[in-house]
Amino acid sequence: MLTATRLGKHYGKAPALTGVSFELHPGEVTAIIGANGAGKTTLIKCLLGLLQFEGDVLINGIDARKKPKDARRHIGYVAQTPAFHPDLTVSETMVFYAALREVPVEEARERIASVNLDGEQDKLAGALSGGMRQRLALAVALLGSPPLLILDEPTSGLDIASRIELRELVTSQRTAGTSVLLSTHWMEDVPYIADRALVLDNGRLVYDGSTTALAGTEAAGSRLYLRLNGHSKEVAPRISELTGHEVRRSGDWLVATCPPAQKAAIVESLVASGVHVLDFRVEEASVEEAVMRFRRQQGDGR
Amino acid sequence: MNAAYVVYRKEIRDAVKSRWLAAFAITFAVVATLIALVQGQGGALGSQGLTRTTASLVNLGLMLVPLLALVLGAASIAGERERGSLATLMSQPITSTELLLGKYAGLTAALWLAIGLGFGGAGLLLAFVGATAGLAAYFGFVLLSAVLASALLGIGMLISVLSDSRLKAIAIAVLAWFVFVIAYDLGAIAVALSLTPSGRMLFLTVLANPVESVRILSVMGIETDLDILGPLGTYLTDTLGRAGTVGFLGAALAAWTVVPVAIAAWLFNTQDS
Repeated sequence: MLTATRLGKHYGKAPALTGVSFELHPGEVTAIIGANGAGKTTLIKCLLGLLQFEGDVLINGIDARKKPKDARRHIGYVAQTPAFHPDLTVSETMVFYAALREVPVEEARERIASVNLDGEQDKLAGALSGGMRQRLALAVALLGSPPLLILDEPTSGLDIASRIELRELVTSQRTAGTSVLLSTHWMEDVPYIADRALVLDNGRLVYDGSTTALAGTEAAGSRLYLRLNGHSKEVAPRISELTGHEVRRSGDWLVATCPPAQKAAIVESLVASGVHVLDFRVEEASVEEAVMRFRRQQGDGR
Repeated sequence: MNAAYVVYRKEIRDAVKSRWLAAFAITFAVVATLIALVQGQGGALGSQGLTRTTASLVNLGLMLVPLLALVLGAASIAGERERGSLATLMSQPITSTELLLGKYAGLTAALWLAIGLGFGGAGLLLAFVGATAGLAAYFGFVLLSAVLASALLGIGMLISVLSDSRLKAIAIAVLAWFVFVIAYDLGAIAVALSLTPSGRMLFLTVLANPVESVRILSVMGIETDLDILGPLGTYLTDTLGRAGTVGFLGAALAAWTVVPVAIAAWLFNTQDS
């Protein structure tokens, strides 16, 4: 579906992307993860041909540099902060983009309804709220049912209900065989949405693999807070043995760091050995923390 | 449907919807009619028809049309870039050249409509009330105004492509207007004459400014004797003749129309969206 080879981009002398290579397969949902400034948006804009770049991008076998127009026919794109012509109504905006994508006007109307904007058809795009503008961008991106959907930080600024809706939309697109590439700096979204993750750090690809495997790595570590009914002194070394990390105390709580996939196993093991778990809570690692750990691991490995 | 054509249609629709087209058409019509009425009070409208109206309109029209064309062109791409809609547009199946040419064609058509409805409408009205003498020269000026609008719109779009904000683009466009329309008469021609005081140098100076080229062509439409242009007129009569002069000035205007748009398209294609 998409092959990126040794992608590079410089802003002046500063490198924004360096040697990024990966492939996307049909029906696969891939998350690009990285802290702010890691190069997620730059990577997406290179794939769309919005930026001049080094390296090669093939979309459905079409060279995005040589034939950007043909390549973009296969892509639907939702920007992080979508912008439209403020003096066009929702309906006029859809008709305009439908004409650009050579899609019948009827489909434009259907797409408006599919993103629940049918009550706002006559509203000017400039008067839409951020969430509504995002829906409009999604409706535009879906015009012509492109085989690749690229979403740049699609959950930022959305309320919980809209985030759930978006997850459902991504799932339905995957079921329909569409490849989805989305960027996020919310680690917690990733396991729910994506099959595969690409982790970017300072413009370099530091992880390319399944999200399940990512969740099992030390780098994506969770912090598990446990409040036990006594036995804390005896239990702490046992948890430490399971996780390979030192367990520290914070007031009444024991704090253990572990791969996200190990959390349930730790609680299960404690309960099985008769320890009474009064309360527990979990803090997932932020992308920044995860990337820092990746960096540390890579440094250790050298 | 061709992507450039889709953008072209949108530009015309925007011009109609935002009412700037109507506002300028009315302004042009009022200006032309007022000038004719002022001439008419002195009795000139009856005896000389539109000839004196055209002569007066050349000076005023050559100030208004360039300003409108340059500012519209300057706001076009820079405006899209500033509000972020350029990235939305360029993520669609459209090339940067198609987008630029579609915008250029749409804005040109809208400008032609404003000029045609304004100056042209006023001319038809005046002809209807009996001012038929000099009608050809009047409509010749209307046509030349449209050509000038196309040339300066291209220069405005080149400014737009090179500017990172709408405000900056408009400021540079106003400066360009000042240079082409005001400072050129006062400065460039004087400097040229002080270097080589010849008709040839004056003619080269005229070719280097589309506004001056249109001014000379408009005067040629009104006056049969080019001596009214002084040393320049003598040079044109003796060296090039009427047809040669029209050919040279026409070619210069064609170059002023095509070259800035071509450079803008080339630069736009090499830029990040």
